Amino acid sequence: MLSRRDFVKGGVALVSIGTTAQSLLKGAVAFAAQNGSAVANPASKKALVLVQLAGGNDGLNTLVPASDPAYRSARPALGIAEDAVLPLSEGFGLNPALTGMKGLWDAGKLAVVRGVGYPGQNYSHFKSMAIWQAGDPKMELDNGWLGRTLEKLESEEHDPFLGFNVGASTPEEMRTPKVAVPSVRSPEDYGVKVNGRLADPGHARTATMLKLYEQYPAASPYGALLETTVETAMSSSRLLQEVDRAYAPAVEYPDSSFGSGLSLLAEAIVGDLGMRVGHITLGGFDTHNNQATEHTSLMETLDAGLTAFYQDLVAHGKADDVLVLTWSEFGRRVAENANGGTDHGAGSVLFALGNGVRGGLYGDAPNLAALVDDGNVPYTTDFRRVYATVIDGWLGVPHEELLGQRWDQLGFIAA
Amino acid sequence: MDESTNETAGMGLARRRRTRRALLAGVAAVAAGGTAAGVTVLARSGGQEAGAPGSTAGQRGDLPTAAPTPDPNRPIDDPLARAAHLLRRAGWGGSLPEIEAFAQLGRDEAVDRLLEFGAVDNASLDARIAKEAFNLTTPGRGLDGKRPPLIRDMQRWWLTRMAYTARPLEERMTYIWHGLLTSQVSQVGIQAAKQMVRQNELFRAHALGRYDDLLQAVSKDPAMMLYLNTIESTQAHPNENYARELMELFSMGEGNYTEEDVRESARAFTGWRLTRPARERPPEGLSERERDEWLNQMWAAWEPEFQLQPRLHDAGTKTFLGRTGNFGGEDIVRIIMEQPATGRFITRRLFSELAYRNPDEETVDRLVDVWDASGHSVREVVRAILLSDEFWSMRAYRSLVRSPVEFAVGAVRALGIETNWLTIEQSGAGMDQRLFEPPSVAGWPGGETWLSSGTFFGRVNFLDAFLFPRGRPIAIPALEGQTTVQGMVDAALNALVDGNVAEASREALYAHAGTVPAGPERAATVAYLVLASPEYQLI
Repeated sequence: MLSRRDFVKGGVALVSIGTTAQSLLKGAVAFAAQNGSAVANPASKKALVLVQLAGGNDGLNTLVPASDPAYRSARPALGIAEDAVLPLSEGFGLNPALTGMKGLWDAGKLAVVRGVGYPGQNYSHFKSMAIWQAGDPKMELDNGWLGRTLEKLESEEHDPFLGFNVGASTPEEMRTPKVAVPSVRSPEDYGVKVNGRLADPGHARTATMLKLYEQYPAASPYGALLETTVETAMSSSRLLQEVDRAYAPAVEYPDSSFGSGLSLLAEAIVGDLGMRVGHITLGGFDTHNNQATEHTSLMETLDAGLTAFYQDLVAHGKADDVLVLTWSEFGRRVAENANGGTDHGAGSVLFALGNGVRGGLYGDAPNLAALVDDGNVPYTTDFRRVYATVIDGWLGVPHEELLGQRWDQLGFIAA
Repeated sequence: MDESTNETAGMGLARRRRTRRALLAGVAAVAAGGTAAGVTVLARSGGQEAGAPGSTAGQRGDLPTAAPTPDPNRPIDDPLARAAHLLRRAGWGGSLPEIEAFAQLGRDEAVDRLLEFGAVDNASLDARIAKEAFNLTTPGRGLDGKRPPLIRDMQRWWLTRMAYTARPLEERMTYIWHGLLTSQVSQVGIQAAKQMVRQNELFRAHALGRYDDLLQAVSKDPAMMLYLNTIESTQAHPNENYARELMELFSMGEGNYTEEDVRESARAFTGWRLTRPARERPPEGLSERERDEWLNQMWAAWEPEFQLQPRLHDAGTKTFLGRTGNFGGEDIVRIIMEQPATGRFITRRLFSELAYRNPDEETVDRLVDVWDASGHSVREVVRAILLSDEFWSMRAYRSLVRSPVEFAVGAVRALGIETNWLTIEQSGAGMDQRLFEPPSVAGWPGGETWLSSGTFFGRVNFLDAFLFPRGRPIAIPALEGQTTVQGMVDAALNALVDGNVAEASREALYAHAGTVPAGPERAATVAYLVLASPEYQLI
C-alpha cells in the first residue's frame, strides 16, 4: 500500500514539474481522505517528549533529601518536612505536589536522575540553557542536540511532524537547517485565514501568496529558512486539521497552557503524525523570591499535566511508545535567600517517565556536605549521559557522533 | 547563544530540497522568459513613474548577470533601495515619497536628518496621542468598567508613536534599549505597570546620549529595580539578580567577570530602595469595588523616587574587577563603564541591531575607537555605523528578519494607513511579540527565531484581520490613486520591498490582482500579498 510519505513525495514530484505547492497539500489531503485517517504507520513509533522547565528548577525541592541534616539547616523556611514528602527510597522523597509522579514511581515507570550537570557550571540562564540545548558545554557542536538527532531520523523520509514543538518559535535544541519543525500553539489558529476563518489552502489569495515563496530565490537572504518554514507550515497545518477533527482526549487535561499543550502533543501521537521528538516548555522556575508558593504551584502544574498526558496515552494505546524527559538549565543554591527564594545553582534532578522506563533513582546522590562554587550542589552525572541514553537506548540512533564522544548510558530504558 | 546568520541558514539544505529547488528555479526561469530567477538584484520599475500604465518590471536594467558568488561587500547600488534601507534600519521604513526624498540626499545629509531629531517638530504626533487619550497610569477597569485596559493602551501608545512620529530614530533607539535593558511588565506587576512607561520615557530621553548616563539611570529606574529584585536586596542577603544581568546582558557580556565579581557587586546594590506610596491603606467603610478602585488610583499616583537605606546597605569593602574599595552601586557602574569589554559589547550590539549580525573584529575595533574618543556617546557610535561602508553593503541589505513590531509598523508607515492599533491587540498575538513583555531578561532573541511555522500563520492572519476587519477592506491611501492593476502592484512593491522581487512574483501579483474588483478590495489584497511576501519578512 502506498504510504503517506510516498504520497507526499509524489506531491513533491508534481511540484517539481511545474505545479504549485498546493499539489503537495492536495495530495496529502486526498490520501487522508481515501484512507480514513491522516496517515499510515510510521516505521518506528518511539517518540521522545522533552519538557523544558525554564528558569532553573529547584532540584532539592523536587527530589527532596528530606533526612539530610545539611538540607534541613540550609533551608529553614523553604525545606520540606520529612513527613510531608512522598517517600521513594534512600531517604529521598518527592515534592508533596507530585502525587501523580509518585503513582508512576510505584508502578516502576518513573526514573529520577540525581546530580545532573556538567563541568564548569555556568550560572547564567542563557549560557547554561544554550549548553544544554547544544548538548555541549564547549559549544563547539553545530545546532541543537535534537536538531542533530532529527537529521538522523529524517533520512529519506519527510514527515512534517517528525519534530514537533508546542509554542511559538523553534526551541534551540531542535534547531537544524535541515529539518523544519512545526511550532503550534493552538490548532484553530494554525493555518491561513481568509476573512477571519481558516480557509482551504487552495483559496486563490493563499495560492498566490505561496507562489511568492516558490519564486523567492534560494540563494537570496534566508532563502532556505523561508522556504522550509512555509512549506512545513502548509503541510503540517493540513495534517493537524485532519487529526484535530478525529482526536478526543480520554482524560481531562488541566486548564493551563501546559495542559493544553500536552494534549496537543498527545493529539499528534494519537493521530500517528510520525512524531519522533516533541517539545514543550513550562516556565517560571526562576524562584528568586516567594518560592514556597510559586514552586509548589509549578510542581502541581507539572504533575497534573504529565499525569493527564500519560493517562491519555494509556487510554489510546500509545503509552509504550512515548518517553517523557524533563530538563532545566540548572538547579538552585542550597541555602535559601532572604526573599523566601533561592538563587541560581548547579546540579539538579530530572525525570524520565513512561512505560518504556525502568523506574528508580539514577546517578549518585550529591554530597550536600561538600558543596562547590560557594554553596552549590556538585554534579555527579553529566547531562550528556542522559542524552546518550535517550538518543541511543530509546530513539535507536548511535549517540557518539551526535554528542561528539561516547557516554555510558544510564540504564533507565527498560529492556 | 550564537545567532546564525542568513549565510549559515542557507548552507545546510537537505539534498532533496536542493533538488526540488533547482527544479523550481528552472520552472520559474521558463515562466519569466528565460531570466534567471535566482539573481538578487536591485531592480525597480522606476520610482516616480511606478503608477504609470505599462511601467512593468520587465525593465531590469543594468543587472550583473548571474555571478555565482557575488561579493557581499559590494554597495547597494540602487539609490531608492539605499534610501529605503536607511529608513528601515534607522527608523520604521518610509512611504514612497519619503524614500524618494531621502534618495536625493547625500549619505551624510541623510544620516544627519535622522540623527539630529532634537529639532524636529513632533506636534502632529503629540496631537494624535492627546486625542487618543490612552490610559498610561491606572490598572483596573474603573467603577464604571469603562477604563481602557492599562497594558493594552501602553502597547497601543508606543505603536502609535512608532507609526506616526516625525523622529523615527528616537523610537528606534527606544526600542533597541527596551530590547537590551529589558524589563517585563508581567514581572514588574500590573499595579506598577505605569513604571514601564516611565522606563520607556527614560530610554527615549537617553536615546542617543552617553551610555554611562543611561546605565546609571536604568540602575535606579523603578521598573528595573522591581524587575530584577534590587528593592529586596539587603546587607544580610544580597540579591545577585541585578548585579549579574548588569554585567552579563547590559554591559560587558559573559566571560569578562567572575562569580566572585557578581557576589561582590551585589553587595554594593544592597539597600537600594524606592519610596513607598504616600498612603497604602484604603480608608474604612469602602465597598470591595471602591476599595479596589482606591488601590488602583493609589498605584496610578505612585511616583517612586530612588533612596538609599543605610541600614540595609553593605558599606563594607568590596573587591570588584580587581579594584578594592567601599563601593556603592554607582561605583560599580562606573567601573563597568571603564572596562574595554563594555565598549566592545555595546558597539557590537548596536551594529548588530542597525547593520547586520556578527560583525568582524576590525569593524568593532573602529566603533570602539569612536566610543572611546567620544566619551561613550551613543550618538557618535550610531553615526559611525550609519555612515560605514558595511551599513551600505549588500551584506546588510535584507540581512535581518523583521520583528512583528517592524512588520506591522512598517506596513502602516509605508502605506499611509490610519490605525488606532486595536487590531494588533486582538489578532497580533500569533506573531509572538508583545511590547513591554519580552520573553526574558535577555530580550527578544530575534533573527531566525522570529520565523516558525506558527509565527508565519500569525503574520498572515494578522494581515487578514488588519486589512480586512469583519471581511471588509480598509483604506490603503498609498495605493488609492492607482487605476491600473500593474500600477497598483508596482506601487506596493516599490513602497514595501524596493521593487526588488523575482520577475515571476511580480507576474503572479499582476495576475491575481487582475481577478479582484478594482477599488479598496484590490488595494487591500495587493497590500496583503506584498506584506505576506518573503521579501517583506526581511529588513
